[in-house]
Amino acid sequence: MGKFVKILILLLFVSMLVFVGFSTEVITIKYAHWNALNETYNYVKAFEKKYPNIKVEFSLIPEAEYSQKLNTMAMTGTAPDVLCLWECDITRFAKAGLIDPLDDYVKGSKEFTLDDFIPAVKNLIRLQGKLYGLPWCFATEIMYYNKDMFDKAKIPYPSDRWTWKDFENAAKKLTIVKDGKVEQWGCDALSFQGLWYSLIGTFGDDIVNDKGQFAIGKGAKDFLQWWYDLTNKYKVVAAPQVSTSGIISTDLFMAGKAAMAFNGSWMTSVYKDIKNFRWDIAPIPKGQRQYSTLHTGFFAIYSKSKVKDAAWKFIEFCLSDEGQKLINKAGNNPSARISILKKGYYKVRGPMGPTRWDAIEKTAQFAQWGYVLLPPGLTFDIVKDFNAAILGQTSIEDVLKRAIERAKDVLGEEGVVTQ
Amino acid sequence: MNVDKKSVVPYLYITPWIIGFILFTGGPIIATILLSFTKWDLITPPVWIGFSNFIRMFKVGSEFWWIIRVTLLFTIFSVIISISWALFTAILLNQKIRGTNIFSFFYFAPAVVPLIALTFVFQLILNKELGIINYFLSFIGIKEGPNWLMDKNLVLWVVTVLCIYTYFTGQMMLIFDSALKEVPKELYEAAEIDGANSIDKFFKITLPYISPILFFNLVTATINSLNTSFTLIYPLTAGGPGRATQVISLDIYNNAFKNFRMGYACAEAVILFIITVIVSLLQFKISKKWVYYEA
Repeated sequence: MGKFVKILILLLFVSMLVFVGFSTEVITIKYAHWNALNETYNYVKAFEKKYPNIKVEFSLIPEAEYSQKLNTMAMTGTAPDVLCLWECDITRFAKAGLIDPLDDYVKGSKEFTLDDFIPAVKNLIRLQGKLYGLPWCFATEIMYYNKDMFDKAKIPYPSDRWTWKDFENAAKKLTIVKDGKVEQWGCDALSFQGLWYSLIGTFGDDIVNDKGQFAIGKGAKDFLQWWYDLTNKYKVVAAPQVSTSGIISTDLFMAGKAAMAFNGSWMTSVYKDIKNFRWDIAPIPKGQRQYSTLHTGFFAIYSKSKVKDAAWKFIEFCLSDEGQKLINKAGNNPSARISILKKGYYKVRGPMGPTRWDAIEKTAQFAQWGYVLLPPGLTFDIVKDFNAAILGQTSIEDVLKRAIERAKDVLGEEGVVTQ
Repeated sequence: MNVDKKSVVPYLYITPWIIGFILFTGGPIIATILLSFTKWDLITPPVWIGFSNFIRMFKVGSEFWWIIRVTLLFTIFSVIISISWALFTAILLNQKIRGTNIFSFFYFAPAVVPLIALTFVFQLILNKELGIINYFLSFIGIKEGPNWLMDKNLVLWVVTVLCIYTYFTGQMMLIFDSALKEVPKELYEAAEIDGANSIDKFFKITLPYISPILFFNLVTATINSLNTSFTLIYPLTAGGPGRATQVISLDIYNNAFKNFRMGYACAEAVILFIITVIVSLLQFKISKKWVYYEA
């Protein structure tokens, strides 16, 4: 063998080594979330198994500090490559150029198309001009009812076609008063803050219109007056209880003291432990229209990321059937992809309920992002005033006037319209 | 130049603290003051807007006036209640009875329970429908017990009373306890010979003797109440119902991290700082009339 051939073989060998070295180079992407990874349904581990050359450096940020922390990280240029942004943050991050549009990535994806997502995702694209995030799963707001109490009162269960009139009639029949004290409430007070906006939405207000403006007015007034009557005049709805961060420590529905309640769909994972009565779920009754609020986190790519392709691979995996199955099962939350939603991975039933999972799927068809797109401080502050109005501590007119003023203060004049 | 080692060494000892203060306290204070003149949403660069935040804060009809009122009311009531309670329990612990250590444990135990857990327990206890207080009230004929945390006339009182369960009140009790133990017994014996009763002894011997400690607790309790009321009120009422318990520290948090108005929140923090300084200076000035540093 000539010297030349030997050198050639050596060069080939060296280049092969270099090639192999490059091809096995491990890329690390940073990813943060407010939910700890579930050991049984660990989608990060599953991704790393599927893509051995991509390592995910996962950071758990406590939910109470999540938004604040991501904002700070983005400000200092240390945000993770894959963000799971809350609704109130995604528009701000997009406007500040901190996240990349995903339109081109989605177009090139073989895993899914945008048509497969629930309608609200397309509405968000319309609002933001481009697609900046994809929902990791979703939750919505629905009605819960105690089947045993309905049976005892001989009232048919709430249907998909229920109106607020049906609700009111049922609440009156389901309320039991003994010796001047209410022993069983027709409906529990509104605890989670989003419900106020969902119920007002059924009375016709846009909540957040097509231009992204906060829009309440007549619907809010009509709803508050009606809810005030149900609470104080007819005494069929329990009086508001203290609600901090949108969560209350007491739950009359779970305690078997209220026949109906409104809450987030995530409460199915809490109520599934109920053992002493049968219960089920239904969409929020219809007023002028059907309305409910969607909740999610949006997978997005940090614009300063140096590993954007790997970051997209991770997002694509999370939204694939395999990834969604793990995510849905881990948190009992349905997929925002309709084809996966129908597979029902999220349906983790308790011994007493629920059975009517279609209530969540039907709600997903008409639910909107609504108030969650606004700063949470604003919407929560307004809810404190709503509570004060229902307690008769301030007039409904004053509350609405103040809500508009406060919204203008936070969002600017152009961010608010009165309906 | 000859540098006297003795004069340099002490400064070297305090250098780490000085560096820490400049980095972690002084720096943020200056940043807060500067940011109070800006509009900043945390993710885009701050925009200089001069005194706009302060003008908005103090304009006629601004909600800030109400927040100041609630903050001052809460501070006055909570300081009075927590100091009185701490002193009262410390006096009880100084009685000549057996088992004071056990009582000491029971008095102090709530102070070491995490506040967040305590507030959730109190939300349950004070619940209108399921709470144990209203349940007991039903035995004495009160069928519709108060909605303790949602009644705008009651809630501020309830929250201030709950201050007695905070760590700070427990800590004050321990400080009072040791101060009371320092009061010379001879003074009480002499007073007894002169025919003084318990009330005379308390107001004419105990109180003057522990007045420096009382003053220390008063100042720290006031600063604590003004600045850290957030930790009690946020998980307990979140400032509601309406604005009934919306203290300034809570409003700063809301504006900074929930409404993304960091500039406005910094302006509020500056005002809180000024209020704290004024109140503390007033306390120091008045203290000359009632605090005795010599026995």
